[in-house]
Amino acid sequence: MFLQTVPALSADTGLTVRLRQDAPIPLDAELVCRPGEVLALVGPSGSGKSTVLRSVAGLYQPGAGMVTCDGRAWFDAARKVCLAPQRREVGMVFQSYALFPHMTALGNVMAAMGHMTETERRKRALDLLAKVHLDGLEDRYPAALSGGQQQRVAVARALARDPKVLLLDEPFSAVDRATRQRLYVELAELRRELKMPTLLVTHDLEEAAILADTLCILHRGKTLQTGAPMDVKTRPDTVAVARLVDIRNIFEGVVLGHDEGEGVTYLGWQGHTFSSRLRPEFPLSAKVSWCIPASHVLLHPPNRPSRGDAENPVEGVITDMLALGETVRVEVAIGTCGASIVMPVLLHVAQRNGLKPGAEVTLTLRAEGIHLLKED
Amino acid sequence: MIRRVLRLLAALPLFALAWTAPAVAQEVPTIAAAADLQFALTEVADQFTKDTGKTVKLSFGSSGNFHRQIKEGAPFEMYLSADEGYVLELAKDGLTQDEGTLYAVGRIVLIVPPGSPLKPDGSLKDLAAALEVGTVKKFAIANPEHAPYGRAARAALKTAGLWEKVEDKLVLGENVSQAAQYATTGSAAGGIIAYSLALSPKVSALGEFALIPAEWHDPLRQRMVLTKKAGDVTKAFYAYVQAPAARAVFKKYGFVLPGEM
Amino acid sequence: MDWMALRLSLSLGAWTIAILLPVGIVIGRWLAWRSFRGKGLVESLLALPLVLPPTVLGYYLLVSMGARSPVGRWFEAATGHGLVFSFTGLVIASVLINLPFAIQPMQRAFEAIPRDVREAAACCGMSPWRAMLRVELPLAWPGILTALVLSFAHTLGEFGVVLMVGGSIPGETKTIAIAIYDRVQAFDDHAAGVMSAFLLLFSLLTIGLSYVLTNRARVIR
Repeated sequence: MFLQTVPALSADTGLTVRLRQDAPIPLDAELVCRPGEVLALVGPSGSGKSTVLRSVAGLYQPGAGMVTCDGRAWFDAARKVCLAPQRREVGMVFQSYALFPHMTALGNVMAAMGHMTETERRKRALDLLAKVHLDGLEDRYPAALSGGQQQRVAVARALARDPKVLLLDEPFSAVDRATRQRLYVELAELRRELKMPTLLVTHDLEEAAILADTLCILHRGKTLQTGAPMDVKTRPDTVAVARLVDIRNIFEGVVLGHDEGEGVTYLGWQGHTFSSRLRPEFPLSAKVSWCIPASHVLLHPPNRPSRGDAENPVEGVITDMLALGETVRVEVAIGTCGASIVMPVLLHVAQRNGLKPGAEVTLTLRAEGIHLLKED
Repeated sequence: MIRRVLRLLAALPLFALAWTAPAVAQEVPTIAAAADLQFALTEVADQFTKDTGKTVKLSFGSSGNFHRQIKEGAPFEMYLSADEGYVLELAKDGLTQDEGTLYAVGRIVLIVPPGSPLKPDGSLKDLAAALEVGTVKKFAIANPEHAPYGRAARAALKTAGLWEKVEDKLVLGENVSQAAQYATTGSAAGGIIAYSLALSPKVSALGEFALIPAEWHDPLRQRMVLTKKAGDVTKAFYAYVQAPAARAVFKKYGFVLPGEM
Repeated sequence: MDWMALRLSLSLGAWTIAILLPVGIVIGRWLAWRSFRGKGLVESLLALPLVLPPTVLGYYLLVSMGARSPVGRWFEAATGHGLVFSFTGLVIASVLINLPFAIQPMQRAFEAIPRDVREAAACCGMSPWRAMLRVELPLAWPGILTALVLSFAHTLGEFGVVLMVGGSIPGETKTIAIAIYDRVQAFDDHAAGVMSAFLLLFSLLTIGLSYVLTNRARVIR
């Protein structure tokens, strides 16, 4: 469960993607998305997320690799197969929605139904618009629709083709926060009915965690880690992934020993010995990077003595407090060599406990959260 | 609504296409004529249509330009030049049926519009005096490069010894008809144009004129010819131009006719 | 009023835009969406008639299509009449001189269609042909119409090239612009005045129409 298994690239159902190229955009991406699964491609801007998506849609032709859907090759560089977008059954929602400005909402949806008769198209398009809660707005032109409504039309249009793969390119980036939250719910509802694989491109980890079954971290065109969102977010494979999933507390320690019976690996850091999940693949006495998500760091204020049962207690001094709305970002210096742990504390908690810079505190680093990282 | 109007507008050129396409097909022959014939030949052609029921289309311009156009394959069936040299050259190139016939000899006149500092003096003495005192700012003739009447005007001015004095004041018409237009519409003090044009009601109303001695320039021997493209209507017109009715018209416009020299 | 000349001019304009419509769409689309080496050169060449004196173009056409040129001889052998001083020659000249008037507005119109909208058409399963009919042309339509209106009006007014390549043959190459010139020479100021007033009115309408179309294009986006 902890070892990431590389998915076999020969699925009969669902989407498999393997792309390689050095220039102009470096690509080294591998992913599998099963029917009904939502896979979120996450990475910073310029990481190649959209290029991967466009390669699946047939809007971009990479140098080498393969894209198959339900066992059929859409792209196979070795066999010189590259189907045009029209011949790949994809439904795509563009970042800017790319609605046809001269067609009504209904017209936009019907435009993607070239494979049906006129009467079928009309009925089905109305159904789809109803499904995305746009009944009554069928005859509006895109310019007369709000951002959220436009996004819904784009989703309905993407589904209109009865696609074998649904592709969503940052579909929530152009709407306000409130609308976005509403659209999350709608998409989550909608996806219960969707039988096809869905690729969601986003730069927002939270969004990916909310909507996706699988998270795939992409960096400079390379897929670094794929797994369940919680796993990837708390147990990144490498230092690079840890940084990409926004873990700040990354340090260097030493592997002190493994206890197979207890399922524990002992880690030495700043004169402390921590217990963490068993990772026998790390050799004894080796230097190792490790991380802990802020959510696994607990703070014991100075006026309340730490409970004796605390795991991995560490003493430190608060060096900085930065108020960020409802929370405070607290930085605690550990030992004397400049290492510091960062964690968020709720504002009222910080106030109640009289936290302030210079205060001595004890931290608990929960063993569950301590995670050893491989080198990049 | 606007969409529909736009579509309709888009279709308009197609209607135009359908309506106008047949206009291109033409059975009426086209005839190229020197500009000095502007009024005389138009009258002859009208008479021809009245007498025979057949029509020809006339195109007036400088003889030199028509000469070039016929060489390039222009579809003229008959060519009435103001200078027989052009006709003989085309004949040598094998573009005509024969060497054609002399149909008229032209004369040139000095024409001055009302209010001009010049007097209509065929001996050009008044022009000489006016040039001396500098009251002539502009003087119109046809372009001697390719218009026979321009060449005759230049010869006459040279004979009178005025060429050098008048040269930088000249406005050159593309053909003699345009020169007449320049000379009479106030843009110039006057000009030397074809007698045939000056005699037309339209031009004679615009100024006074006087004949310039015929000996002052090479005779304007005007020759016409049928090209290789000539059809029956044109052949009939060619004959008609030599018939008495047409000769009378030419005579009325001041031409000297062959056999009367 | 020289109806024959007007009819000829309208016919010339109609033929010109009938040819430039497909040519302009193909070239304008190509220039709008493709980048390739030498694109700047192609665009400059196509814009050349905007700055080239019409007489220069007229001269080269006369030389290249004349009775002694290979093209002229071939045409004469094929059709029995020459290319210069013929309506066909005039259409060719008119198409060439109107290339920038037709292509540039069309290119701008196609450039204004966002890339993702075109991609969306493909992702909706539309064939390239269908995408052109259903999405590209409707969006580029005001620009295309502007191009046609401008070309048509410009054809009606073209003088230099028409005179050089066409001569002034009634019913064949004597367009309304030439007819005006001709009527002035013939001391027929009345006819020249009527025809000039007609062209003036027509030009005003044309400019007005092209402004309406441009504004309309802005409303759609």
